[in-house]
Amino acid sequence: MASSFTPMSLNPYSSFRSASNGEINSTKKIMIKMNMITPSSKDGTPLKAMKFKGTQMREKKLTEMIEQKVVEANQVCGEDETSDECKVAWDEVEEISQAKADLRLKLEKLHQDPLESFCQENPETDECRIYED
Amino acid sequence: MAVSTVHTVQSLSSTCSISNPTKSHLGFNQKQLVFFKKTTTTTRRATTVITCSAGDTVVIGLAADSGCGKSTFMRRLTSVFGGAAEPPKGGNPDSNTLISDTTTVICLDDYHSLDRTGRKEKGVTALDPRANNFDLMYEQVKAIKSGVAVEKPIYNHVTGLIDPPELIKPPKIFVIEGLHPMYDARVRELLDFSIYLDISNEVKFAWKIQRDMAERGHSLESIKASIEARKPDFDAYIDPQKQYADAVIEVLPTELIPDDNEGKVLRVRLIMKEGVKYFNPVYLFDEGSTISWIPCGRKLTCSYPGIKFSYGPETYFGHEVSVLEMDGQFDRLDELIYIESHLSSISTKFYGEVTQQMLKHADFPGSNNGTGLFQTIVGLKIRDLYEQIVASKSGAPLEATKT
Repeated sequence: MASSFTPMSLNPYSSFRSASNGEINSTKKIMIKMNMITPSSKDGTPLKAMKFKGTQMREKKLTEMIEQKVVEANQVCGEDETSDECKVAWDEVEEISQAKADLRLKLEKLHQDPLESFCQENPETDECRIYED
Repeated sequence: MAVSTVHTVQSLSSTCSISNPTKSHLGFNQKQLVFFKKTTTTTRRATTVITCSAGDTVVIGLAADSGCGKSTFMRRLTSVFGGAAEPPKGGNPDSNTLISDTTTVICLDDYHSLDRTGRKEKGVTALDPRANNFDLMYEQVKAIKSGVAVEKPIYNHVTGLIDPPELIKPPKIFVIEGLHPMYDARVRELLDFSIYLDISNEVKFAWKIQRDMAERGHSLESIKASIEARKPDFDAYIDPQKQYADAVIEVLPTELIPDDNEGKVLRVRLIMKEGVKYFNPVYLFDEGSTISWIPCGRKLTCSYPGIKFSYGPETYFGHEVSVLEMDGQFDRLDELIYIESHLSSISTKFYGEVTQQMLKHADFPGSNNGTGLFQTIVGLKIRDLYEQIVASKSGAPLEATKT
């Protein structure tokens, strides 16, 4: 994933919107120079920060859990919509959905792999194998 | 010979240590109580120095639904103080805690008394007070506030289990974030400032759609069902906390576009309690009056649907409040700067600070509307509050602080 970003250059975005949005363009240039926003790859998509196997495993697990728990909730609530079990089932769905969203936020907006500092201390663990796309 | 008068004496807690320095000269340190003991048998003076960690930690409570990656608000808040907030280095990778130079943010889910299996067995949601250990929450927040480090449990949102604890050291600013920061009266008393993020049902629905629609397991129906199922517990246990908050950020659908249900353009109200120590509400033009302001016109051109502000006094759950409201969104730097220059009592340290902070997180949700704007302003108010508290403490080191 080659990046066209060079810190010293003032025109790193080859794909960036043209002069019709000149104002945003120049603002973004200032922001890049001030290290306020992060670089993108050549086609403008944000560089994904997923680095370690453990993070990929977590992401996969959360995705599966969401699917599974939604099915469960529909089942339980089908029997009795007003039951405590039904409430709890949907609460679980919410918890997992939020956990997945938090992970996505970290990777896509903050460009951090949550295992970064853990893996610095424990590089030999299975979780810390480098993730290959 | 230095003479100091002892005013009221704080009870010596376990955070105090006692030493007998051999130096004859003692400088005055605001955190030390110095006792001179003149013995009559010899001419030597014995001195005892008691050093107390004065506990100048300021505690902020933030109530919000859905998890502790209120990353957006938290990152705006911590960046106002400077420095980026990171998870604790080398610890549990599923920790919910964020630490920066000045601020530590903990997630109150860590005080769950029941893990996911336990809650399922008992038939209680995470919103239910029965799933949370308020005694431990109170003890630990109290300890941090008085300068003592604690071993705080970790609730792992991936596994649903309670993991071994992590060490939390008292920071300058301690933020407790989650569903119940203001639920327990004892914990409420410890808060120097509290915020409630009040998202209306329509906006909540729109946001959760944005959040979950891309997920394989979800559909419009499942998202809706999840919100509805949690609503009774939410209304019973979480919502009532807003009456205790010093500031409420209320997020509603816009009134500028008829029948808008995308939740993209928002109407945001910053409800600020009057009479809170160290907190001076933000105002427009003339404090205490009622203002309606549309900045777009001859000096400022805005794109559709424009921006509308209002400000005025109101009553909220029996309290006097001031409400600053913004409806619409900005899409240009100069709109933001223009608006900033017309707001008063925003506690900035230089002109354009709000705009600069907003730009720093330009790709975060809410960066072009009242949510980002008011979260940033609240962050600046908290900084101001913190500095005032510290200043007042160093002025009178032995006076009892607000309990």
